[in-house]
Parts: sequence; C-alpha cells; structure tokens
Amino acid sequence: MAFESELLALVPRLRRFAASLSRNAADGDDLCQAAIERALKSRAQWQEGTRLDSWMYRIMRNLWTDEARARQRAAKTFAPEEEGAHVGHAGDRDIEAAVELSDVARAMAKLPDEQREVIALVLVEGLAYKEAAEVLDIPMGTLTSRLVRGRGALLELLGEAA
Amino acid sequence: MSAVSEDMLVAYADGELDEVNRRRVERAIADDDALAERLAAHVALRERLSGHFAPVAQEAVPDRFRALLEPQGAADNVVSLSDVREKRSGRLWTSWGMGAAIAASLVLGLGLGRSMNGEAGPVGVSGGKMVAQGSLAKALDTQLASAQGGSDVRIGLSFRAKDGGWCRSFEGAAVAGVACRDGGGWRLEQAVPGSGAAGDYRQASSGDARVSATVEALIAGDPADAAGEKAARDAGWSNLN
Repeated sequence: MAFESELLALVPRLRRFAASLSRNAADGDDLCQAAIERALKSRAQWQEGTRLDSWMYRIMRNLWTDEARARQRAAKTFAPEEEGAHVGHAGDRDIEAAVELSDVARAMAKLPDEQREVIALVLVEGLAYKEAAEVLDIPMGTLTSRLVRGRGALLELLGEAA
Repeated sequence: MSAVSEDMLVAYADGELDEVNRRRVERAIADDDALAERLAAHVALRERLSGHFAPVAQEAVPDRFRALLEPQGAADNVVSLSDVREKRSGRLWTSWGMGAAIAASLVLGLGLGRSMNGEAGPVGVSGGKMVAQGSLAKALDTQLASAQGGSDVRIGLSFRAKDGGWCRSFEGAAVAGVACRDGGGWRLEQAVPGSGAAGDYRQASSGDARVSATVEALIAGDPADAAGEKAARDAGWSNLN
C-alpha cells in the first residue's frame, strides 16, 4: 500500500518528466501510465530504502527509448506508407500538434534523444548531475558533455544566445 | 581566450560548482560582458524550461492515475491505456499556453537586467552577479520562515555567513537556492531549478542536497531561530545587527 501511495505522490513529477520527453501532453500521459503499469508489475525489483523517484525516472526513460527506437524502425521499414499516413492525417492530429506545440516544445523535439533526456532530468526535473547520471547509467563526463551540447542547441533554437 | 569554459558556465547556472569555482566564474564574468550575457542566457534557459513544464506538475492528478494507484480503484475502475487512447478526441491542453506565458514572463524579467512592463522574473544579473528581483527579492526582504503565508516562495534557513553577512535559503516553483545580503539587495550564491509544483510532496525544509551543501559551506555557527530571524529582518538584514 505504501508503494502505491508513494507512487501517487510522484505522479505530478512523473507527468512533468513525461511531458518534457514527449511531443505533447497526451502522449506524455500515455507514457506516464505505461511507466506506472510497468512499475506496479515489477515492484518486486524495487529495493526498499532506495529512491523510488530515480527508479521511476529510469523506467519511464527506458520505455520512452524503446518506443522511440520502434518508431524509427517503423519509419525506415515503411517509409512510403508513413508518408501516405502523414498526408491522410494532416487534417487532424498533425495540425493539432503544430498548433499546440510551443517554441519550447518544438525546440526540445529537435534535440537528439540523448541530449533531450539529459535536459529533461537536469533542467526540468532539477536533478543534480550525479543523480541524472545514475538514472541514465552514464558517466558524469558523458552527462555534462550532452548537457552542454543540448543547452547550446536550445539557446540557438530559442534565439537567446545573445 | 576566457579562463572560464562553457562547461563551467553551465555548471554555475545549474548550481553544481563549489564555492571556489563559483568565485572564479564571478570574477571572470565581472570583466567580460559577453561571458556575463552567455551566463544570463543559460540561467534564463533553465528558468524558461522549468517554467514551461511546471504547470503540468501543478495540475491535480488525473483520474486515470488515481484509478491505478488508489486502493478502491484497484478492481473495476482501472482505465487501461488503450481505453484512454480510444476515448481521446483531439483535446487541446490549455496549460501549455499558460506555461508558455509564465516562461515568457520569466525570460522577459531576466532579460539581462532590463526592466520591462509587468512582473519581473525571480533572477536577474546585475554587476556581473546573479541577484534576486521581483517577488523573490521581496520574500527575502520580508518573509519569515515561521510565517510563510500564501507566498509562492518558501524561506528555508536564515543564517550568518562566515563573513558576518546574512544569507537565506529559499525554494520557489521556478528556482531554489541560497541568497546573501549584498548592499541593499540579495546576491544569489546558488540557484537551482525549483520544485515546480506547489503541491509537491517534497517539503521545502528537506530541500535539495546541493542547497544544503551550500548552506553548510557558508554558515558560521547555527541558523537563526524565529526571534533572531525577525530581529534581523526588522534591522533590514544589516550585518551589524
């Protein structure tokens, strides 16, 4: 029971993280729900006394990575169909997304995934470098170089580089 | 050509530098306007991003998550992901617009110390230093940890630094950190992304480990108690008090 209520308390932060990884809020909530379902199923793997938030960030990030890879594979394999589908959907979802996306979301969407997840954890979620490196299971040097490149790209995209 | 690398500027903006390196950055930006602007841009970027996504964490938890995680929802109220996907019909999500508006006001407020119409953001750059402004400056000036009221900034500890001046730790939705009295204003010793959420389960007092480390590095003796804090405020945070 404690596990569920701790998870519930984390939902606001998990939704925020999911929104910063996804292209819109609805996709973010789907990702968030998938992560919670995964966590409930594999709760035996969570070690009490360790941080539940880090564990949840890791689950969510891994689901997001898997999904992104699947999308890329599909795009390569079915390129003609994808293009067709694109045209067919132009009336609803794509236009909606274009209207909905703010400058910030658009800029985030242009970042390579490996930079985007670092930006999301450090700048949006406010994790310390060390915590973010642990969630992503990468060395500190890798984290900081991705962060610096991601920040530089965002400044350029958002026109704040003075 | 500069003694301070982009990595260091970024680490400064993210509150990851120790005191020695923070001073190095501050000395470098004092004589280098381009570097100071680059730092201000990095600070503004972090505020813009955290401000943009903060409204998501401030919304009430949607029913679909409650249904998954609340005891009575376990049996038949569970809404599966595919149900939700089917039901969804092109809803627009108004908070994005709101987030963008908040982010815009933060960025405008930051705008390298220029004053614009309307609310200033919590952090500005003045004389080569990050300083508190707007509602954050006001909270640091007047708010007591023992009486936070409905303010959107929470004050953590008030304490004397080793140089005798007053410093205060704080946490807001956009930014948290430690500020020290400097002239008539507040110099930010550290600024890290804030909690983002008013209803966050984390208590402001438990704080961020980086903020605690900064307090530890600066503090002389013990933090002020409620009476000491009030006396210091009433004396305008003068270090003679």
